[in-house]
Amino acid sequence: MADPAPHLPAAPEPLLRAQGIEKTFDRTRALAGAALDVAAGEVHGLLGANGAGKSTLSRVISGHLRRDRGTLTWRGRPLDAGRPREAIAAGIVMVMQETSLAPDLSVLENIFLPELARPGRLRLGTLRGRAQAILESLGQADALPLSAEVRLLSAAQRQLVEIAKALAVDAALIIFDEPTASLSPGEVERLFDVIARLRGAGHALVFVSHRLEEVFAITDRVTVMREGRTVAAAVPTATLTQADIVRLMVGQDLGRIFAARPAPASSGAPVLELHHLRAAPLVRDVSFALHGGEILGLGGLVGAGRSETLEAIFGLRPPDGGEIRLDGRPFAPRRPAAAIRAGIGFVPEDRRRQSIVPDFSVRENLLLGHLSARRGAGLGYRSQAARISQLLRHLDLPEERLLDANMLNFSGGMQQKIIIARWLLLDPRVLLLDEPTKGVDIGTRSAIYAMLREVADRGTAVLVVSSDFEELLGLCGRIVVMSDGMSIATTASAVLDEAKLTLLAAPRSSMAGTTALLRELAQETGGTAFWALRDEGRVFCLQRAGGEGAADPGFGPGATPRFEETRIAAALASPAAGFVAEPDGVLRTLLVRVAGHRGHELGWIGLTVAAGDPPPAGAIAARIHDRFVRSI
Amino acid sequence: MSDAIVQTALLRRLGARLELRMLALALIVFVGLSLASPFFLKSNNLLNLLDQSVVTGIVSVGMTFVILTGGIDLSVGSVLGFTAVLMGLTMPQYGIPAGIAVAVLSGAGIGLFSGFLVARFGLASFVVTLGVMAIGRSLAYICSGQNSISDIPPQINDLVYTPILGVPSNVATLLVLYVLAFLYLSFTKGGRTIYAIGSNPEAARTAGLGVLAYSILPYVVSGALSAVAGVLLSAQILSIDPLAGTALELDAIAAVVIGGASLAGGRGSIIGTLIGVLIMVMIRNGLNLLGVSPFWQGSAIGGIIIAAVLVERLVSTRVRA
Repeated sequence: MADPAPHLPAAPEPLLRAQGIEKTFDRTRALAGAALDVAAGEVHGLLGANGAGKSTLSRVISGHLRRDRGTLTWRGRPLDAGRPREAIAAGIVMVMQETSLAPDLSVLENIFLPELARPGRLRLGTLRGRAQAILESLGQADALPLSAEVRLLSAAQRQLVEIAKALAVDAALIIFDEPTASLSPGEVERLFDVIARLRGAGHALVFVSHRLEEVFAITDRVTVMREGRTVAAAVPTATLTQADIVRLMVGQDLGRIFAARPAPASSGAPVLELHHLRAAPLVRDVSFALHGGEILGLGGLVGAGRSETLEAIFGLRPPDGGEIRLDGRPFAPRRPAAAIRAGIGFVPEDRRRQSIVPDFSVRENLLLGHLSARRGAGLGYRSQAARISQLLRHLDLPEERLLDANMLNFSGGMQQKIIIARWLLLDPRVLLLDEPTKGVDIGTRSAIYAMLREVADRGTAVLVVSSDFEELLGLCGRIVVMSDGMSIATTASAVLDEAKLTLLAAPRSSMAGTTALLRELAQETGGTAFWALRDEGRVFCLQRAGGEGAADPGFGPGATPRFEETRIAAALASPAAGFVAEPDGVLRTLLVRVAGHRGHELGWIGLTVAAGDPPPAGAIAARIHDRFVRSI
Repeated sequence: MSDAIVQTALLRRLGARLELRMLALALIVFVGLSLASPFFLKSNNLLNLLDQSVVTGIVSVGMTFVILTGGIDLSVGSVLGFTAVLMGLTMPQYGIPAGIAVAVLSGAGIGLFSGFLVARFGLASFVVTLGVMAIGRSLAYICSGQNSISDIPPQINDLVYTPILGVPSNVATLLVLYVLAFLYLSFTKGGRTIYAIGSNPEAARTAGLGVLAYSILPYVVSGALSAVAGVLLSAQILSIDPLAGTALELDAIAAVVIGGASLAGGRGSIIGTLIGVLIMVMIRNGLNLLGVSPFWQGSAIGGIIIAAVLVERLVSTRVRA
């Protein structure tokens, strides 16, 4: 891998070449010699851990940021795009997470937003025709109502608007920044179809991601970044394994980041319990128990209601129903101050917006939690001085930096340590963290993990929300999976992996087709239909329909029992082409393996029926194959 | 961390002390005016200077509170006028203390009204206080019957000129208010909360600070202090004009901004405001002594405000970089 060139049959002429790009924000060096070569007609993966500089490099190329140093060559000529408009004129467009759309304008107006910058009259009729043509070229003619306001669209539809917008300006290079972050598996498939069509039409595509399965599914070559540098340039994806990429991204083996396998949840009475908590609009039915000394993960997709659940616990969002219990007693904080006094600390997701008071010194930022917990009019800062020194020594923060006027000059990791320390100063019983390592460089990440583990070891109950499934699996002993505002599974992380977590977390709304299929099967046969994954002697149930009667397989949605803990152990252990009867002869089960139409393995559809003549297995299997692919 | 870095950090911190930079500006104005006019340094002129600072100075304290939260209070002048009229109507019948109490309480009440609308419903403070400004002035006219009220007890004059430790009591009131405001903003939970709200309201909220209460309080303080300024003004001239305090909000906002506060909130200090008030009053006073036409004074003051803020912006970006 030292010299990737020989692997390529004929090194394609690069459309875009970026070399030695450097960019510094305040004192943080985001890019320190990044390079990228992209050719026409390829999907190029740009990989790296959080904070590696992928997004910064993308924004430099697309003109959203001006580089400090380095050269950009576009079609063989130097490119000096200092503004997005210049990059667009050259044919480079970045598809962002819905940020570049005007929510109150229609789909059509958004697609042709750049046209507003051109002189002359707008001809809506012509534009409408062009928009239709663009959508047809993507194979998505019916997916977008052109006159709908953008704010009414789903995340996937908005992304389609962004792509159409890029094509409306004849973009030759389209950069996708984490395009799948808020999409369901079915929507990801659809996006990959669109990307494949664009590649076929000769566009160059950059796919920024840290989800490795997707990288292997869609990219032709990959460039890997670490700490602002390119560590592997334009390597053909086929020559790499997942382990290779992880090593390149992280610079070491993953095991060393998550120092020790988390201990299993401690038993004993839970510190914090949620019973069917509801808080409109995003939290619909959340239940779990959190014990002292454990790190519990709250996993799911963006928009699943995880952050909002934390806000409800912390008194920032009034619940509409259900119950929170703290130490077994009902707990209903109406303001954050009440939650803080009860011993809860909260590290929100967006440090800059939700945590840092920019005009305060680092010391006063550190003392903000103390200030609100304090009763009485005075500050009581001096009484905390000894504890602060002790805490800082412990956290490996130099004490003189407390005097620094501006906390924003610190690296993301340092900022996060200070915000966490803000709550540790209060010895919290429960610490809530929302995306604790977002924008934190990989080195500091392991320090934060170690810090959280130590906090838990001292008896604090820690609840972590993260979209980074790898992080959840490495850090947490148990994981509560949320989807569409509901907690659908609570599982020991030892039995999960990223693929299973992704499927468990998929929005239920995107499973409507599958649900209908399962319900039909259950009704027609009087049995139970389910969608599940099987792995290493365990079944992971994603969906279930029917089964109130005799044909109960012994598990429901979200459950992850071992085969022998279910009522259909024999069938699960050795699936066959037809129905498999259990040794006791009561239940018969048909398992049909299903896959997305691009070949992604998507688990099994099962049908369990009680004794009697089983329905024809072949016909049912054929129907499942046919319907499932269309439903997902 | 090496010594050199600590040292530059220290230097930067000193340079970043905005009050010091503004104090230097005040000294320059002071020395310049002393050289330009032989009357400027006369002791009775210096006392006069302080006397002229009282009304703007007191109103500027409340304005500082409001601006620190990121808001603005345009209603201070008309609140002054309206509450003074109320005092003038109460005093002949119920006595001086009752009159003062009515004025200050109604000023605080008006502030509570504006603050509640701004903080609870998220209305723009500019718009709310613009409305209150119009209402206040109109009520002042209606309640006073469009005439000056001059039948107020003359003993009220003692409020202004009784010396306390050799200082006229109105100036003493001004100084005491500044000391109290300084202590409150620097050393109490409420004061720091006001700064935090102006700097980043979302962070203040998620840290559990009492954002609603301390977003309202500054308007209450501003309304009450406008009334206090009205009491002292009426006591000084022994007459209450429904037009009193017209355009006062401009002077107060200018003083706070010259004092280094950011209109976006979170940055500024009460000492800076005091210096800003003194700069404003010195310039007005000096221009009078120099015989500059009152019509030109507006241009001079406006130019100085813009120049001061521009220089401050240029200097502070350099200090930060």
